[in-house]
Amino acid sequence: MTETLEQIKQAVISGKHKEIETLVQTAVDEKVDLSSIINTALIDGMDVVGQQFASGEIFVPEMLIAALTMQKGLAVIKPLLKGKDSKSKGTVLIGTVKGDLHDIGKNLVSMMLEGAGFQVVDLGVNLGVEQLVDKVTEIKPDILGLSTLLTTTMPEMQKVISVMRQRGLRSSVKIMVGGAPVDAHFAEKIGADGYAKDAAGAVQLARKLVSGN
Amino acid sequence: MKSTPYNLIMSALYNGKKGSRPPAASVTSIVCHDLMDASGVSFPEAHVNSEAMAELALAGHEIIGFDTVMPEYSVHQEAAALGCDVDWGSRDQMPDSRNAPYADFSDVIIPENILEKPSMRVVLDAISKLRRHVGGRVAIIGKVMGPWTLSYHMAGTQNLLLQVGLGEKDKVVKMLRQLMPVTIAFAKAQFQAGADIVVLADHATGNLVGSYHYKDYLLAIHQEITSQIEGPLILHVCGNCLDRIELFADAGFDGYNFEWQVDSKVAVAKVGHRICLVGNVNNAQTLLQGTPDDVRKQVRYAVEAGVNIIAPECAIPLTTPIENLKALVAAVHEGY
Repeated sequence: MTETLEQIKQAVISGKHKEIETLVQTAVDEKVDLSSIINTALIDGMDVVGQQFASGEIFVPEMLIAALTMQKGLAVIKPLLKGKDSKSKGTVLIGTVKGDLHDIGKNLVSMMLEGAGFQVVDLGVNLGVEQLVDKVTEIKPDILGLSTLLTTTMPEMQKVISVMRQRGLRSSVKIMVGGAPVDAHFAEKIGADGYAKDAAGAVQLARKLVSGN
Repeated sequence: MKSTPYNLIMSALYNGKKGSRPPAASVTSIVCHDLMDASGVSFPEAHVNSEAMAELALAGHEIIGFDTVMPEYSVHQEAAALGCDVDWGSRDQMPDSRNAPYADFSDVIIPENILEKPSMRVVLDAISKLRRHVGGRVAIIGKVMGPWTLSYHMAGTQNLLLQVGLGEKDKVVKMLRQLMPVTIAFAKAQFQAGADIVVLADHATGNLVGSYHYKDYLLAIHQEITSQIEGPLILHVCGNCLDRIELFADAGFDGYNFEWQVDSKVAVAKVGHRICLVGNVNNAQTLLQGTPDDVRKQVRYAVEAGVNIIAPECAIPLTTPIENLKALVAAVHEGY
């Protein structure tokens, strides 16, 4: 890894959002391969941040700043990728189910997935079953991500999956679920394809789901 | 000591005489559809009408058998009085704010007559009604939001946490200090209205922020709050807060309502000698999806560990079966 790439990675890890654009521009000027800037510096940096969050070393305030830093870095590169082969890792449709207005966890997952090269369509919060299923039909994502913070709204996840089965859509999309009251047992019970306990876990799960392994 | 619900709760709060059994408390919300149906009082009426509010609280004691009555079910009473546009929800949905009026961190305007705003008055009136019905016999519990939770409502949760991440400490602390008097005034008014204990909910939640955030931003403020309010206070903070549970005791709270993810034995060993532990029956897996026997096992585990007051870990899901709440009460009636 070049020195600049290492500096970019460290900037993401320590949330140096004011310095990231200059560092990424330096790497671009040094003719560093754009995919290396994304994969080796930005995404790897975010993976470290995800691990630190999972182990309780850092919390949401630091995660938000790291994600902001990564987004600023990506914004420098995105215009340069136009016209080049920058194939998305897959499309993820994501949202918080009906009755629930909480979105921090879902937003962090969206940011991390985007950073990891997925195309993310974030539908927001308080999403009814019909609204979600209609969007799946329209966008045909690889993955549908459902989030909830409230125990009161957990049953909504099951409703979404049931309606998708009824409409014959279930096999066309992988479904991952998450949120504070959700666990792997619940995910299995309602027929989801996977559960992740935090944003970093969600990225790993999404990678696994699209690779089919 | 006579083992009345009031005596059992107050004695347990101060780790005093044990009486015939441990007490069961509702310190957040134990309202579910079954309880609404059994009492004939429903949400959203019970958030905005003092008679309905008090009746539903009373149903928690009379129908389920809790040793407390707790008439505040939402976390948005103060937010509404401070200018948030609150959707009071429905039978199936808890209230929530539609906006964050101080997202720009401008000075928070506290209405001079804030205690007379309808969303505040309704709670005070409900507490007074309960005092007349069950005062001295059943423990009456009030609830206020701490400045951290109020800041979520004023600025937006993600926005507040972002400012913390950006290191904007002055900005965040200024908002916390502007809101602190609201917490203090509402708690004092609830005691005057007849509350025996007030729960102070301040969501510096384990999954959102770290113990270092609590220490940097909130500990000193909580110490000021507890020194200015003379009545007993139970702190409620969700999530796994084992890393900061000693700081909660340092803050001067009389009790702490904790979650199932913190092992009762570990909590008792760490702070059981300094603070009353209230909890910690699991909501999502046990009260909502488990059987009465699952509930009994958790209650007995907590009692044997030395948890002083048995309660759900947080506001219960609305679809919780009432049988599981009755199982919680039945399990404390087995005694120590």
